[in-house]
Amino acid sequence: MKVSPQTFFNFCAAHVPLLRALQERVGELSEADARRLIRDSGKADDELPETTWRRLRELQILVPTEPGSDFYFLAPPVDRLLAYLLDEAKAATPEIIRGYIQSLEALGKQLSRAIDTDDLTVVRLALEEIQQTLRRIYADLDETHRAIMTEVARYKTERQTVSVRDKFRRIVHWMERYVNPMLDIVRTDGPMRATFDETERLLNRAREHGLFNDLPALERNLRHLRLVQRHSLRVFQQCRRELQPLYESLRRSSFIAEGAAVALERLRREGPDGWSERHAIGAYSLRWLHVPADNAIERALRNVVEHPPEPAPVLAMSGEDDIPAAYLHRLWLEALPDNVRNALPVQDLLGWVVSRYPERNTDDALAGFSRLVFHDEFSAKFTDGVSCTYETADGTLDAQPVELASA
Amino acid sequence: MSELPHLHELFDRLRRGYHLSPEDEPMFSVVSANHEAYAAYFAPLGLKLVRHPREFFYFDPETAESVPETLPRIAVFSFILVDHAANDGRPIEDYLLNQHFLISKLPHFSLDRYATLLRQVEVEDAAGIRLVLKQMERLGWVKFVGDEEFRFLRPFHRVFDKCLELSAVGSSRDNETLSSESGQKLPGSAAVNE
Repeated sequence: MKVSPQTFFNFCAAHVPLLRALQERVGELSEADARRLIRDSGKADDELPETTWRRLRELQILVPTEPGSDFYFLAPPVDRLLAYLLDEAKAATPEIIRGYIQSLEALGKQLSRAIDTDDLTVVRLALEEIQQTLRRIYADLDETHRAIMTEVARYKTERQTVSVRDKFRRIVHWMERYVNPMLDIVRTDGPMRATFDETERLLNRAREHGLFNDLPALERNLRHLRLVQRHSLRVFQQCRRELQPLYESLRRSSFIAEGAAVALERLRREGPDGWSERHAIGAYSLRWLHVPADNAIERALRNVVEHPPEPAPVLAMSGEDDIPAAYLHRLWLEALPDNVRNALPVQDLLGWVVSRYPERNTDDALAGFSRLVFHDEFSAKFTDGVSCTYETADGTLDAQPVELASA
Repeated sequence: MSELPHLHELFDRLRRGYHLSPEDEPMFSVVSANHEAYAAYFAPLGLKLVRHPREFFYFDPETAESVPETLPRIAVFSFILVDHAANDGRPIEDYLLNQHFLISKLPHFSLDRYATLLRQVEVEDAAGIRLVLKQMERLGWVKFVGDEEFRFLRPFHRVFDKCLELSAVGSSRDNETLSSESGQKLPGSAAVNE
């Protein structure tokens, strides 16, 4: 179906954000995906999303992956046009360039046979095709160069947080996927040079061959061959020069980051025991001991003399072995009423006490006497007898006898 | 030998683990100009005066009598800083060596993971961090430019060296990995597998 250029470009002009979003999306997309992109990128004027969706298909901007499929992709011509308009280069893979070189080899063989057989038509066709292939190689190399430069610029200006290790992986990807294989292809002893030399030889042969007289076409091809050769080597050497410092810086940073992460992870997993020996950064340490001076010795001696050592106080942590005397005295006093009860009435209480407990001293004898005299169960009164002398363990007492009876 | 200047002061600093960097003028210039003479002077004492490729000097810790207990704290502090810078996508060396830092803005207690690691080496809070930084200052790795503000000095490269060593050991990389100085080759397949 033919598409009117005016209609197509009018639509494109009104839907730039949508087209950009479609181009940035890699691979197939479903109808739902497409409708979401239409919604997200806003609608032009008052156009309904349904209309936008319909026109995307009518203008063959989106084409189904296979007839009747619900999955779509951006039509390759539109993709290329958008890349051109939006100045977004897409890197050509080394495989594509190798494909071109193989194509040139095949064309060379064709050209050689045509020269041998004086087939001027095939010579002309081969020359045109060689010219076209050279243009494609030039354009693709140029686009790859621009893509790499864009990526380098992105590294230098990127604000969003991407870890050093992720950046390093990306730069390694660019180096490994594009720059190094491309350099292998375009270097002076690489396959491109060999094929170009052979093609140049054939072109010279065709020029020297009297029958083919389109010399300007031959000259054009020769010039283009040399141009592509020089250009490709130059741009990829430049790419390498741009990427190399980034690569080196990121590689070192990446390894430093990995070392720190390894150390921290081991600390987390194994704990600090034994970690220090393997992970701490060593620093010299030398203990410096000075000989004590005279005044230090003098001070030490004075301290000893002026503060003689004394034993430290000891806290008794176990119970006492002996029964306290006060406790025994108390028990004796408490037992006195029971002891005297069987002897009641007692005519001379003090006499009873000192005769029953001769080992008791005067204080104890009087305490026992008082205990019994003032006890609730007993009554005491002085007798009419004469005053007596009582001998205790540590002295004597003179007293009027006291009689004790039950109360 | 006896004519070597600053010997007493130099020895007094280096024996404590200090790293002599361009901040320590005029001693640094003198040692830099006569490194071999100084190294020869200390060698009979069993002390190896190391000249780091990044141009600073220190006594080889292999000959030390003991490992100070502050070193694990310094290591954890430094590794956390490196890890944080890497996760932020910053060029680690450039970022750490060319910036001034505020103690209150350090990332060490911004994540539970970091705080837990610090606690393992008995650094509990900002006061602990300040103490670690003071210890680093004594090693000549850090210079305070105010109460709160500091910057890392050139000898901090020893942390990076340790990281590279651990990284190489950890992933069994060949020695080429460690040669971070000039003349590096383009990545081999090992680097791609990073």
